[in-house]
Amino acid sequence: MSVLELREITKVFPGVVANDHVSLSLEEGEIIALLGENGAGKTTLMNVVYGLLSCDGGELLVDGRPVKIKSPRHAIDLGIGMVHQHFMLVQPLTVTENIVLGHEPARFGVIDFATARKKVLEISARYGLKVDPDSRIMDLSVGMQQRVEILKALYQGARILILDEPTAVLTPQEVRELFAVVRSLVNEGLSVVFITHKLEEVMAVADRILVMRDGRLVGETRPSDTDTVGLARMMVGRDVVLRVEKAPRACGDTVLEVDGLHVKDDRGLEAVRGVALSVRGGEIVAIAGVDGNGQREIVESIVGLRKPTSGTIRLKGEDITHASARSSIEAGVSHIPEDRHRRGLILEFTIAENLMLGDHRLAPYSTRGLMRPTAVTAMAKRRIVDYDVRTPSERVLASALSGGNQQKVVVAREIGRDPELLVAAQPTRGLDVGAIEFVHRQILKERDSGKAVLLVSLELEEISALADRILVIYEGRIVKEFAAGEADDETLGFYMTGGGGSKLAPETGATGARGEGER
Amino acid sequence: MSETHEALPEQRRWMGVVQQIGAPVISVIIAIGIGSVIMWVSGYDAGAAFAALFKGSFGSPKAFGDTLLRATPLIFTGLAVAYGFSAGLFNIGAEGQLFMGGLAAAYLGVQLAAQPWYAAVPVLLLGAMAAGAAWAFVPAVLKARIGAHEVITTMMFTYIGKYLVSWLVVGPLKAPGQIPQTVTIGTSAQLPRIQTLFSEATLEALPFLRFGRAHMGIVVAILFAVIMWAILKYTTLGYEARAVGFNPTAAETGGISVSSTIIKALCISGALAGLSGAVEVMGVHYKIFDQFSSGFGFTGIAVALVAKKNPLGVIPAALLFGALSAGSGLMQLEADVPQKIISIIQAVVIFLIAAESVIQWFIKRRQKEALSHAG
Amino acid sequence: MLGDILTPDLFASALRMATPLALAAIGGTLCERSGVVNIALEGIMLIGAFAAAAAGLATGSGWLGLLAAIAAGVAVSAIHAFSSINLKSDQVVSGTAINILALGVTGFLMELLYGHPGTTDPVPQMLRPVFHFPNGGEGVLGTVWTWINSIVFSHTPIVYLAIAVAVIAQWAMYRTRWGLRLRALGEHPRAADTVGINVSRGRWIAVMMSGALGGMAGANLVLEQVGSFTENMTNGRGFIALAANIFGRWTPVGSYLASLLFGFADALQIKLQLFRAEIDIPPQFFLMLPYVLTVVVLAGVIGRAVSPAAVGVPYEKG
Repeated sequence: MSVLELREITKVFPGVVANDHVSLSLEEGEIIALLGENGAGKTTLMNVVYGLLSCDGGELLVDGRPVKIKSPRHAIDLGIGMVHQHFMLVQPLTVTENIVLGHEPARFGVIDFATARKKVLEISARYGLKVDPDSRIMDLSVGMQQRVEILKALYQGARILILDEPTAVLTPQEVRELFAVVRSLVNEGLSVVFITHKLEEVMAVADRILVMRDGRLVGETRPSDTDTVGLARMMVGRDVVLRVEKAPRACGDTVLEVDGLHVKDDRGLEAVRGVALSVRGGEIVAIAGVDGNGQREIVESIVGLRKPTSGTIRLKGEDITHASARSSIEAGVSHIPEDRHRRGLILEFTIAENLMLGDHRLAPYSTRGLMRPTAVTAMAKRRIVDYDVRTPSERVLASALSGGNQQKVVVAREIGRDPELLVAAQPTRGLDVGAIEFVHRQILKERDSGKAVLLVSLELEEISALADRILVIYEGRIVKEFAAGEADDETLGFYMTGGGGSKLAPETGATGARGEGER
Repeated sequence: MSETHEALPEQRRWMGVVQQIGAPVISVIIAIGIGSVIMWVSGYDAGAAFAALFKGSFGSPKAFGDTLLRATPLIFTGLAVAYGFSAGLFNIGAEGQLFMGGLAAAYLGVQLAAQPWYAAVPVLLLGAMAAGAAWAFVPAVLKARIGAHEVITTMMFTYIGKYLVSWLVVGPLKAPGQIPQTVTIGTSAQLPRIQTLFSEATLEALPFLRFGRAHMGIVVAILFAVIMWAILKYTTLGYEARAVGFNPTAAETGGISVSSTIIKALCISGALAGLSGAVEVMGVHYKIFDQFSSGFGFTGIAVALVAKKNPLGVIPAALLFGALSAGSGLMQLEADVPQKIISIIQAVVIFLIAAESVIQWFIKRRQKEALSHAG
Repeated sequence: MLGDILTPDLFASALRMATPLALAAIGGTLCERSGVVNIALEGIMLIGAFAAAAAGLATGSGWLGLLAAIAAGVAVSAIHAFSSINLKSDQVVSGTAINILALGVTGFLMELLYGHPGTTDPVPQMLRPVFHFPNGGEGVLGTVWTWINSIVFSHTPIVYLAIAVAVIAQWAMYRTRWGLRLRALGEHPRAADTVGINVSRGRWIAVMMSGALGGMAGANLVLEQVGSFTENMTNGRGFIALAANIFGRWTPVGSYLASLLFGFADALQIKLQLFRAEIDIPPQFFLMLPYVLTVVVLAGVIGRAVSPAAVGVPYEKG
């Protein structure tokens, strides 16, 4: 009997059918992967199952009984747990407080913290998920936080566990550990729904693969019956070139030169500890690393958003260490920020207004503080065509564009400025395959025209597709350098987690060894 | 996909019109309705009250003049709050900056009594702007440098400013006599009443020009509304203010200095509020005293919200609240309804407009969802 | 002269002056911890004060006055809750509307009920001090007792109530189920939602609690300090209370202690006005003192005080 069954689930948002008559079932002790691009409707579907959204049609069965799940509370009571892509953890609270939140052991409303702590330790020991119950979430690594999320679901008594893009923030080693954890959970009788858009992962972990596209279930298969190419075709609906063509590099003079860079993060802790790197014209240098190892701080100091504590940054020999964001733009540094909604765009501005951001004080867009609307409009119209922004007019608000088109606006602005150096931080995060291809081609074009590109990415796939040289960063230091094609993902992952002589060996959980064996 | 795209500008233009004009108008109508219910419940004759209210605000040229008289400072405080909103700042303390602007005008008006009007008037206005800006400067710096919430700090500066004025009018700047007030400013520094610009013969012929106490400040106010509109739309100053107001992080990434933009914007807001005090001194009282503003700074918040932070929208919004204020006197006199009902109506308008912005946001989100699926 | 200023009653007065600020500040703490900014405290306090006076005048009972103030505070805060939580209005704008509404409603009702603006008649039955111990006599022991007696035992009920509220709220925030959930709501409401906590309900309760405390603060002003209601008598105390909440780092006891600082400034300026003859400073400068102190405190503390992450952000389900 299926532990979970969805029959013809339909969910409509104003103007969009997010889930179109989706039916699927999950057997006890099974791992199914829900595969699809960003926006295919996977998360919406699981939010319906978890009671965060109500569906507009269809039926849900848990253990064969039809249920109407009205709230997460209800879902939890039915034994459904969910680990969200963006962790649902309260940063200043402790691990224990987060795990018991909503289901606190208490007498007359007073929390019994001793019992709570004991229960957390029990579950943690039983599933081999080690945590310090008294740490605050904000002091934990991302992998550790995910562990807390899983423990939270287990504490709540989950028998069905939904994991939403769980590997997005993990290193290859952490991913293998996670897979091992998932298998041990299944051995304990749990059933798992694994949401992802990464093809290798579904091949590695899933018993059964369900592919979603545009809100519909478009296929079902097993890892033994398919390969990544077949899966990609099913997911995107056409043949996909998994790798963009790349011309051999023709290196020019050094454009960016960073030396002895030390930078502090927002909390005042040293995040970058003596980084030296250089980027020449016509090459793409990529910084590979786990999120939070100082990449953000390096990028922000190069583009003038953060003051380094020591070290120098030179652009074509000119010292820009203490340049403001404005003078750094004027010196020829462009920046595709990692978060387009927070840093890249002003959503309430029109496309034209967004396209001149950063150049708005310069001729021809303004002279002596007065704007020149005709020049702005002409530039905007040109770039909309050049960069294929799908919009009826340059007067449309940025908020009205799709994610891919929004990123095209950012790329159009930053590359259209014709910079000496392009700093691209996670330039394809959250985009669909088509938009990723577009952004990659633009970045390569920039390189081929002799410009310097510094790429920061968490996606090893992206790094190996674009980079001419790869710098691995760990705890604020460049720990290893590779030429393109010199290292595979495993090797990169090894250095990304502090392997290769740095003080920390890759963290091995209780199930790490098993994960190794299964690869 | 293309259909969705092509339908959008049309839709947006239509919705834009509804949102810009329709929603505030509807909010005001509902608020007046609620005001009527309150009057009715309290045993007053709402019909008579509104008749008196209308008579006192639009019933005669003189009544309309009173409306203009009240609208004049409200245009300035409305512009002040609206400009702050544009940069993401809530200048709740316009009242205090108004006091300082009034103080500067009252002081300079006495000092420059011997100067011709074309020298005195601009200096008074500039002085008031400087004083208002100065009063906003410390909250502005605290906001920009350490993030101290301007709602608390500008409010505190309002109290400090009021006590400062109340000391000066009994102390160093006190005019001879019993009443705590300053010396009357020179006639050349005064803003003339509109009707004095016309000859008696013209007024005989065109009696609707007898605007009573309304003064030239209204012209200055409208001029400033146009200037502020142009600044927001056509200058880098306004562009940067709006960028910071919408998304300071993205603005910073685009090379805009967030802290200096905040300081500039709050000081400009303060300067506008300072002008409000100046026109009250120069056009109405010719001196300053303890209670010379009847909360124009706070009413300016309602004005700015009804105007949807658009400087040109501030003009009709200020006229509306000016009319309510002008008519409320006659309303109390003829229908015996406490003038305070106006504050209640004002509050209800603010509630409705604040809630309505949600509807707007919701519409935007729908558009976005529709497009993100299409794209 | 310093001896004439630093008397036991100065400190007793500081405690009294701190009480309305502390109640409102703790109200602000609970409200902001749940994720809702409460700029409306000023108006809530004012309406609470009016309700206390009106009920006190009508019934002749101070205690009924207090109850009426709490009820009125809760009622007004419900408007803020509805507009902030359900309509998802801008919380600062909604709070401002309530402050303007409070001025209007209290002024309107003054004229409707009493036929004149300004100040009501004195409330006949104010809340009296709880204890009545004689002061100490001569000698060290006598002096010590006089100090203790005036600082600790000279107060009216709401003054003690405020201390109790601070301690109980602090304990509840860190020890109870309600407190843990409250802290989660203001930091990460979606996380709370996903473990089955009702975000709207939690925020509604917190906002109404702040309304009750704000009403109580108003009752203290009328029934224990002034003895009658005057239009706009709160005079910015709601805003100072918010500053005290920030200075107290969003904790009830911290809010209380910060309010003590402001209360002391207030007590000091009142005391100093008595010595106007000796110290030649105009009274207006003393009156400015609490407001100046508020700005100074905010300037000194903000960079290091971290507000709840989700404060001011309406919660969107789904």
